[in-house]
Amino acid sequence: MAIGAELHVASRYLVGTRRWTPVVTVTLISLLGLGLGVFALVVTLALLDGFQSGIRSQIEARAAHAEVRPTSGRRLAEPDRLASLLQGRLGEVEIVQVVRGMCLVGSGTGAVPASVVGRSDTDRTTVDSVLARRLGIGAGDRIEVISARQRLTPMGPLPVRFTADVGRLAPPAPGDEAGTVELPLDRAQRLLWGEPVVGAIELRDPADPWGLGDRARAILEEAAAPVRVAGLVELHRPLLTALALEKIMIFVAVGLMLVVAALNLLCNVAMVAAEKRKDLAVMAGLGSTPGSLRRLFLVLGLVIGLVGSVAGAVVGSAVAITLDRTEALELPSGVFMVSAVPFEIDPATLALVVAVALGLSAGAAWLPARLVARREPAEGLRYE
Amino acid sequence: MSERPPMVRAEGLGKGYGSGPTRLEVLDGLDLEVPAGQMLAVVGPSGVGKSTLLHLIGLLDRPDRGRLALDGLAADDLDGNRRAGLRSRLIGFVFQHHHLLDELDALDNVALPLRIAGVRAAGARDRAAELLDAVGLTGRASHFPDQLSGGEQQRVSVARALAMRPGLLLADEPTGNLDRDNAERLFELVIELHLKAGLTSIIVTHNEEMARRCDRIFRLAPRAELSSDVRTV
Ligand SMILES: Nc1ncnc2c1ncn2[C@@H]1O[C@H](COP(=O)(O)OP(=O)(O)O)[C@@H](O)[C@H]1O
Ligand SMILES: [Mg+2]
Repeated sequence: MAIGAELHVASRYLVGTRRWTPVVTVTLISLLGLGLGVFALVVTLALLDGFQSGIRSQIEARAAHAEVRPTSGRRLAEPDRLASLLQGRLGEVEIVQVVRGMCLVGSGTGAVPASVVGRSDTDRTTVDSVLARRLGIGAGDRIEVISARQRLTPMGPLPVRFTADVGRLAPPAPGDEAGTVELPLDRAQRLLWGEPVVGAIELRDPADPWGLGDRARAILEEAAAPVRVAGLVELHRPLLTALALEKIMIFVAVGLMLVVAALNLLCNVAMVAAEKRKDLAVMAGLGSTPGSLRRLFLVLGLVIGLVGSVAGAVVGSAVAITLDRTEALELPSGVFMVSAVPFEIDPATLALVVAVALGLSAGAAWLPARLVARREPAEGLRYE
Repeated sequence: MSERPPMVRAEGLGKGYGSGPTRLEVLDGLDLEVPAGQMLAVVGPSGVGKSTLLHLIGLLDRPDRGRLALDGLAADDLDGNRRAGLRSRLIGFVFQHHHLLDELDALDNVALPLRIAGVRAAGARDRAAELLDAVGLTGRASHFPDQLSGGEQQRVSVARALAMRPGLLLADEPTGNLDRDNAERLFELVIELHLKAGLTSIIVTHNEEMARRCDRIFRLAPRAELSSDVRTV
């Protein structure tokens, strides 16, 4: 069914009018409402994405991208074979064998419990700043590491212990309040097990941090190794879930602005329908079908929705990108890991926002459109 | 020559407005048959239901009772799309108030029914220009309705009604808002086009003189049995 004529008329209502008409006014108001809604949503989500991608890249930068753990227990069977298998198949990937446990760490002033991790990629003893603060020590100081494991000596059973010089202070892992001491793998093995036990294999691949877990899992499943592989997502599930949830909540909350804008559009389309009631009746009289009159209003709503949301998206993106580039919004230094408020435009999010705005516009135009088409033309022709 | 069906056949047509105690029965059991090619004048006091009748015949409204056939085709049970199709192909309307679209110039107003019927813009405009010539408005094509006089507006309206070469012209007090001279000239134009295009026309008018120039006068009265139907020629 051709709606060229109805489109033609609708476009004349919007542009090319010779006077400032109520239709033009309400259309501009609707446009402004939708544009503002989309603008707010785009900027807010860009801000959120900016912060979240900061958090993600921090995750990528520091921790392992995947971890191979035993299916049960704390010992990984044949760690060397697994490591060389992974190295052979994955190529340029950092592979570190680790063992973890708890111990007491003492300095001159006393001892406190702490996490201990042995890593095959280090030959120094490192203490993180949390533990250093608790012990009141700094780089270069000597600490004593005391195991819960005992050893029989001529003086009876005594805990396994050794002393080490702290090489440097490491930044703390997020959420670690006890503090961690990092040791060379063999020392940690002696401390925790008394034999060369490996608890897990850590993998890092800066080229593909989020896909590494799946690749490693595929290789190890093929080899039927009794292990579980946790990818980056599994390793940080609570945090990532919180981030995703945060984004959804913000989307819904700020998205309510779009709903309000759509309600405004609905009122305005209804107003246009009332204002142009006579024209609609005349067009029906000249042969327009109810469906094409309905589509006239749908098109009107969609055009307003499209122009409004694209304008809002373009302006919002431009503002977000400018604020990001110029680092115009500074943050107090030392509190956050970035010095200015970061913004990031995610094309998928942008598309979703525009799609939601368009959908709401179509819905908003649909209701008055239905009412219009249901009337008999004569009702609109009553002489004033 | 085979018998041509009447252009309009209404039987027992009834229509009322409102409900409950304010219900107003406007038409009640109206019978009317208009043979093809006839020019019928409908006269009657204000509020008697002339516009209502024209709207029913023009498929702009649905009757409460009765049957209606246009050009031999029963129109009672057609859905909205089929009714729209019939309005487009068969019926041309001239309203008392010109009812031109303010946002369209004269040419686009005349082209509108063609565009609605799916005629391409260029073709529709060519035909619209021809029609404006035919109603004596050459050179006024790009004037908007508010830049035209009342008589000119009604001429545009007549041109628009004839754009789709309808078989049935319905005019609701087309000269009602015009001064004597303009009314006279418009009526002449309608008669001329009626004859030239072989139309069937139903013209609602208050003007007895004009009514007498039609083939037949249908006088609508508040009670159906008082209505009269007179051939003038
Ligand atoms: N939509 C409507 N609702 C209520 N009453 C109406 C409606 N349309 C017409 N009427 C009434 O029906 C009667 C006939 O109207 P109409 O057909 O316009 O008369 P005419 O054209 O002969 O002057 C009038 O009394 C008018 O007030
Ligand atoms: Mg009337």
